[in-house]
Amino acid sequence: MSTEEQKDLELKNAEKPEPAISRRYFLAGAACVSAATAVSLSPLLNAEEVPSTDDFIQKHYKQLSDEDKKEIFAKLEARIDKQYGVTATISDPQPIEGVEFAYVLNLGRCIGCRKCVYACMEENNQSRSPQKQYIRVLKMKQGTVNLETSSHDYPEKEASSEDHFYMPVACQQCREPKCIEVCPVKATWKEKDGIVVVDYNWCIGCRYCEAACPYHARRFNFAKPQIPTEDLNPDMGYLSNRPRYMGVMEKCTFCLHKTRRGEYPACMEVCPTGSRKFGNLRDPKSEVRKIIEQERVFVLKQEAGTLPKFYYTFAK
Amino acid sequence: MRNKENKPHFDTGEFLKKVILPGTVILILILLFWGDNKPAIPDPVPLNAEWYTPETARGEILVNTVMPGNCFICHSVQVPDQNVIRPQFAHPTVKLDHGVNDRCYNCHHIYDRDNLAGDGETKIKFATPEKLCARCHGIIVRDWKEGTHGLRQGGWLVKDGATPINFTCTECHDPHSPKFKYKIAAPAPTWPEKTLRQARHSDDDPKSAYLTESIQERF
Repeated sequence: MSTEEQKDLELKNAEKPEPAISRRYFLAGAACVSAATAVSLSPLLNAEEVPSTDDFIQKHYKQLSDEDKKEIFAKLEARIDKQYGVTATISDPQPIEGVEFAYVLNLGRCIGCRKCVYACMEENNQSRSPQKQYIRVLKMKQGTVNLETSSHDYPEKEASSEDHFYMPVACQQCREPKCIEVCPVKATWKEKDGIVVVDYNWCIGCRYCEAACPYHARRFNFAKPQIPTEDLNPDMGYLSNRPRYMGVMEKCTFCLHKTRRGEYPACMEVCPTGSRKFGNLRDPKSEVRKIIEQERVFVLKQEAGTLPKFYYTFAK
Repeated sequence: MRNKENKPHFDTGEFLKKVILPGTVILILILLFWGDNKPAIPDPVPLNAEWYTPETARGEILVNTVMPGNCFICHSVQVPDQNVIRPQFAHPTVKLDHGVNDRCYNCHHIYDRDNLAGDGETKIKFATPEKLCARCHGIIVRDWKEGTHGLRQGGWLVKDGATPINFTCTECHDPHSPKFKYKIAAPAPTWPEKTLRQARHSDDDPKSAYLTESIQERF
């Protein structure tokens, strides 16, 4: 091949460049990509809970006016009536002025019967399947407070054992909650009476808060929560025990729909041994205040710097 | 530089890159996402009412309850023995297990069946057992009066009409055997294994030996 011919050929190539991808390959590739996208997105077709437009444009709880709330509560009540056939009332009690809630648990009395766990499930409309529980009762050997070797799945026949003590752990309602610091959308916050709450409609389900909590107190709804109709508690609070959605975080709220009306939380009323004490930390006459002043109390994982309002004691 | 003269040449490398590779990717995606791969979630079952119904620790134990009938049929005949320890044949359900307090007439009035023994010859009514208990367990009775000991129901905020419900000593403790013998226990959680903290590291497990050892050294 002479140099002239070679030049000629190069010129030809330059005039008519070969396409990087031919039409056939492009179409085939496009078909492949669209098929793959369709297949990988197909689970969305079976999505169980698709939010309505109203849900989608609903504002953050703190930005809702009283009229907005009324409208939203009516909508939710109608939805509960349709789904469960139960006439529920959704209330939204506000924090009481001069009240800060605290909890004291006497480990010397707890027998590990787990009644608090199930009273909590019943009161707070927690999913029965898959099971969600706010309280974990840790069984520990006498003589140590060793969370590493504790177990919370001991069978019921191992309750009230002489060689062990039982430490129920739920949300500690910290004064410095790590969970609200990490929330990217501010869907969880601390109320004025110290209760950490979640706006289930604002939560995006990223589970940062679950990872940040040193007490493993938050529960995520991986599946749609299921509650039998006859077990549904019709006395609901917007920030506490109304039915949750799939893909949102939930947690103990000290039964705020009850406690803000002056009642006791469900776990306390059910405790057969009276290990649990609940009250207003700012009231010098309250039970919790007296115990904290008179007994030696401790908090769980003090080194985490969360300053919990859930105290444990080994009182007589 | 490629030879443009052999245009209809079948290029295996190109074919592999543009057909086989995407094809494999699609196949993998289909295998991953095809079909009903939702995890099987069992139907919800209502909770057993026993697990959440409030009751005191003595609620179910009724063996050591009040004896029916007239006590004086026996006790008027028998001369009371101050040192009697074991309850007589007429009280088969009473098993005295109250620590060093092992004499019947420490608590029961020696001449009066309807009352309990106070200081000296005084009598305490059965309706107010805390006065009897206070003779030994004064600090706990003080706590109970303040509301810091024992079960309390009703509400933390005393409003008009709503008063806290208190329980007396014998509503939770069996006076003959005060240690809790509560038998109703609810089952373990049935969460997915992943989120359940299994008791893998029990204290006897050699895997957790280093934990218990270090603790023993520290104390």
